[in-house]
Amino acid sequence: MADFLSNYSIQRWLESCPQGYLEDTVYGHGPDDHEPESMLDNDLLRESEIRSTVQLIAGERCALAASSGLINSAPDQASKAFLATQTLDEGRHVEIFTQRLYDLGIKPQDLETTITTYLNPHLAKFAEVLLEKVDKKDFVAGVVGQNIVLEGMAFSVFEMLQASHAETNPKFAHTLSGTIADERRHVGFGENRIGELIRRYPERKADVERMQRDMSKHMLATFHVAFSGSAAANEEAKRQMDSGARPKTQAVYQGVDLSSASTEEMEKVLASTVLGEFKTRLARIGLEYQSPL
Amino acid sequence: MNDPLESQRGATEKRPRQVFELDETGFNEVPPRYRRFYRRWKGAGDSLAPNEVKCPVCKVVIRSRVELRAGDRVYCMPCMSRLEVVDENGELVAKVLY
Repeated sequence: MADFLSNYSIQRWLESCPQGYLEDTVYGHGPDDHEPESMLDNDLLRESEIRSTVQLIAGERCALAASSGLINSAPDQASKAFLATQTLDEGRHVEIFTQRLYDLGIKPQDLETTITTYLNPHLAKFAEVLLEKVDKKDFVAGVVGQNIVLEGMAFSVFEMLQASHAETNPKFAHTLSGTIADERRHVGFGENRIGELIRRYPERKADVERMQRDMSKHMLATFHVAFSGSAAANEEAKRQMDSGARPKTQAVYQGVDLSSASTEEMEKVLASTVLGEFKTRLARIGLEYQSPL
Repeated sequence: MNDPLESQRGATEKRPRQVFELDETGFNEVPPRYRRFYRRWKGAGDSLAPNEVKCPVCKVVIRSRVELRAGDRVYCMPCMSRLEVVDENGELVAKVLY
């Protein structure tokens, strides 16, 4: 076990991340990459991108607060070191998505009001459930909430966003590929560390499962509000493609072509993918998935 | 009398393992000296070679210099999971070791 925990070192993180896939990037993408003009010049599409980027910033601010808050309640030095690297990952995510808002035309002095205006209230509730556990220094619940539920959701959301932007916006797709690489470590830590701790403290299961149910409920409500609010932008993107203003592309995620799918179809595929992943991951570490419905 | 299934299994164990040349795959999420041991899963249409197994935690494909068999242990460096290769209905899959 000692050897295994030594993998959670700052040195390993340095070699993999800043000296690896982030080398030569600026705010997570190539130095010459730009947001596409066809989106920046269209108010409906630009506002839709601002709205979705605000949700990413809110999720990452929550992850930053949770990972930093969990350091002092971690039971061993290796976990503290890992959470220190995760804290920097999450801080970087907050920064790169905030920078994206600036690239979309938001002025720095308008950042907080933009976030307040577009923040999905269900996402705020999702974050509250997690941060309450972190504030109570509940390491087991905190890591399940942060590294399995929140990061598991982020992993799938980033993959879907990357698939939908791969051809139409390589700059944003590149930014997302770095965050997906970070999420691999975060979900790995969640499963591996908690898988062992849940076996040691089985009496914690019921409370942790309740938290997962509450977070899943707020997550599904977040998806519903987000997708139903983006129907007009989705139609506009299709219209641009049909008129030739943007190239016709295929963006396949979990077997669904996102470039022709309705927002209802997108919501359905994302929700079923995330919940399916929760169920599988929780079962692997000895927890029973609780349906929020 | 011989059990044909047992003798088939024994034959697999005795047969020398295939050896594979590992080339670069463009995977850059681990330090350079380990990169050829991993590749990204390309989704529907992708398939695993006999020296490959997919990490159930982070979905990266782990590659070995030799053909993998049930009972082998592999390490997924991108998500730091320890895995054991198991035979599930004739297909090799990785299970996480906690």
